[in-house]
Amino acid sequence: MKQKLLLAASMLALALQATPSAAQSPAELNDLQIAHVAYVADNIDIRYAHLALAISSNPAIHEFARTMIRDHTAVNEQALALLKKLNAQPQDNFLSKQLTVNSEKLIDEMSQLRGAAFDKRYAENELAYHKAVNDLVGNAFIPNIENAEVKSLFEAGLKIFKAHEHHAEMMVKSVSK
Amino acid sequence: MSRRSFMKKTAAAIAAAAFPALPFAIAQPRTHRVEISGFKFTPDRLDVSVGDTVTWINRDIAPHTATAAEGGWDTGELVKGAQASITVTADMETSYFCAFHPMMKARLSITASDQ
Ligand SMILES: [Cu+2]
Repeated sequence: MKQKLLLAASMLALALQATPSAAQSPAELNDLQIAHVAYVADNIDIRYAHLALAISSNPAIHEFARTMIRDHTAVNEQALALLKKLNAQPQDNFLSKQLTVNSEKLIDEMSQLRGAAFDKRYAENELAYHKAVNDLVGNAFIPNIENAEVKSLFEAGLKIFKAHEHHAEMMVKSVSK
Repeated sequence: MSRRSFMKKTAAAIAAAAFPALPFAIAQPRTHRVEISGFKFTPDRLDVSVGDTVTWINRDIAPHTATAAEGGWDTGELVKGAQASITVTADMETSYFCAFHPMMKARLSITASDQ
């Protein structure tokens, strides 16, 4: 019995293991690399939101930013809990690195802005960012995720990020007035 | 007549005398459930009566609220799996939304109570 369990556990670990690849396209990433990209993408949006709370004085921007922090934190907690349950570690990869580099540039750029110019840039970036992430998650990640639990977490995440995209559209309209 | 059936009849007579004007029984307050799932309130329109209880339960990973449009009542933050209840009053606001995701909207419809 114990041996069977051990065998099942090691097979699961194998299934989740990185083929030690240097994937260059999002569709080639394994589940653990995908999980890491999502985790990084969540944290990037949380960083943007903290920047907005620090710079903006628009109450609607603050509300939106707080929702981004609340929701992306909730998704990350679920993702970490799932990885822990699967006894897996997320894996750094080309895409998570690229996302981080891009976000640092954007944070530098947005940090220079103040007032309505910041609000507009922040809202537009939130819309563009959620669109890009949703495209990635919906078209490159979900069809390629092998583990059923990881897949269902991404499906739930996509629903949240689509709501954010819609919310960001409303924000762009309201700050462009 | 047995002692027991005498007691029953007496009780019924007292009840009839105590509430002579009531043509039918007072409707019991009911409890309604609204599920929050996939960024939607289900049902998004709910018929309730004064005195009923509405319970919102969040099935999403993202926290939500049920908040009156003008802020007159509020469940506060509902994390995944959490629930909160509000008792229906005659003058309460009926349109509500999620304070965190303002595009999530729903309403209560308060029907005249049958009292
Ligand atoms: Cu909500």
